[in-house]
Amino acid sequence: MLSKQSEKFILELRMYLISKGKKDQEIDEITEELEIHLTRAEEQGKDIANIVGKSPRKYMKSLSNEMKTDRKQMAVLIPMMILLIAAYFSFGPAIEGTFALSSIILWFALGGAAIGVFVYGLVMCRVLPSLYKSFWGMVLIFGANIFVTGIFVMLLLWMKSHSAQPFFVATPLQNTIIIAICLALFIASAIYTKTWITIFVPAFIGLQAVSFRYFSDEINSNPNVFIIGIIVLTLIVGSGMIFLYKRKIKVQN
Amino acid sequence: MADQTQMLKGILDGCLLAIIKEGEIYGYELAAKLESYGFTSFSEGTIYPLLLRMQKEKLVATTLRKSTAGPKRKYYSLTEKGEQELLLFHQRWNQLNKTVNKVLKKEEM
Repeated sequence: MLSKQSEKFILELRMYLISKGKKDQEIDEITEELEIHLTRAEEQGKDIANIVGKSPRKYMKSLSNEMKTDRKQMAVLIPMMILLIAAYFSFGPAIEGTFALSSIILWFALGGAAIGVFVYGLVMCRVLPSLYKSFWGMVLIFGANIFVTGIFVMLLLWMKSHSAQPFFVATPLQNTIIIAICLALFIASAIYTKTWITIFVPAFIGLQAVSFRYFSDEINSNPNVFIIGIIVLTLIVGSGMIFLYKRKIKVQN
Repeated sequence: MADQTQMLKGILDGCLLAIIKEGEIYGYELAAKLESYGFTSFSEGTIYPLLLRMQKEKLVATTLRKSTAGPKRKYYSLTEKGEQELLLFHQRWNQLNKTVNKVLKKEEM
């Protein structure tokens, strides 16, 4: 069994190498090799500093320098992230049947994509490894997730009321095609990155949008219904995440 | 000792090749062997960037093998190119050894 500190190091290393665009297979190999080494060394009463030295960052860099960069993977990941953010924005309006493009929306999309890529990279490489496997860390990640989703929903609502003079308004058929493209993109990226995030977030946006489209305005304008809806969804998504998290830990052990 | 670490860096490559030549070996064992020979001034993980480079330069070959305890281990063995590199290292080391000894003993060429 690895110590918490070593586990954190392995995860940090993995994220660091991913962010440097190294090949998946090579990342798996080196992290597994170091995991075996750390486990055996800890059994002998050695500390992680005996293995990686005084500066783990420097050590990670020395490994990264000797590994091949997978440009093909980077070429897939970055456009995929931008497309995903575009899909998050388009999904809700398309379900509501109100997908339209105006200059305001395009500016938001561009800004959102830039901020999204930056935040995603920062969270994956710096924040996530330090919070990993701590209870409050998980609560914080979960809270941040809901907060971001909340902002998305607010933004969608705001955009709906401010999207003056659209230069493109989708027909019902085009809305359906947009939904299909978005769904395909969410599923593909969930499979590619092996995470559930791109399923949970659209589900959250999607359900909200469906409620706007199919329930009467009276229900939707009632804040209690909205708050109860968010609490129920949070519980469902939260328990789903805890279930997956526990299963992952079990599999790892 | 920091000075020793700097001096060791170039020499470590050759020593790793020499240990791998003795037979297939995995990372942890390799570090333990180096330590048993008296290399104690560097952190054990130092070997992995070196091994990655040797792999890239095709001096060593690797195979994954099941172990009785835990996940698969990556075993290293010497390639033909690795053997040649080890021979060159021997020559370079002998030469350096001689020269440094002469300097320390103040003998002239």
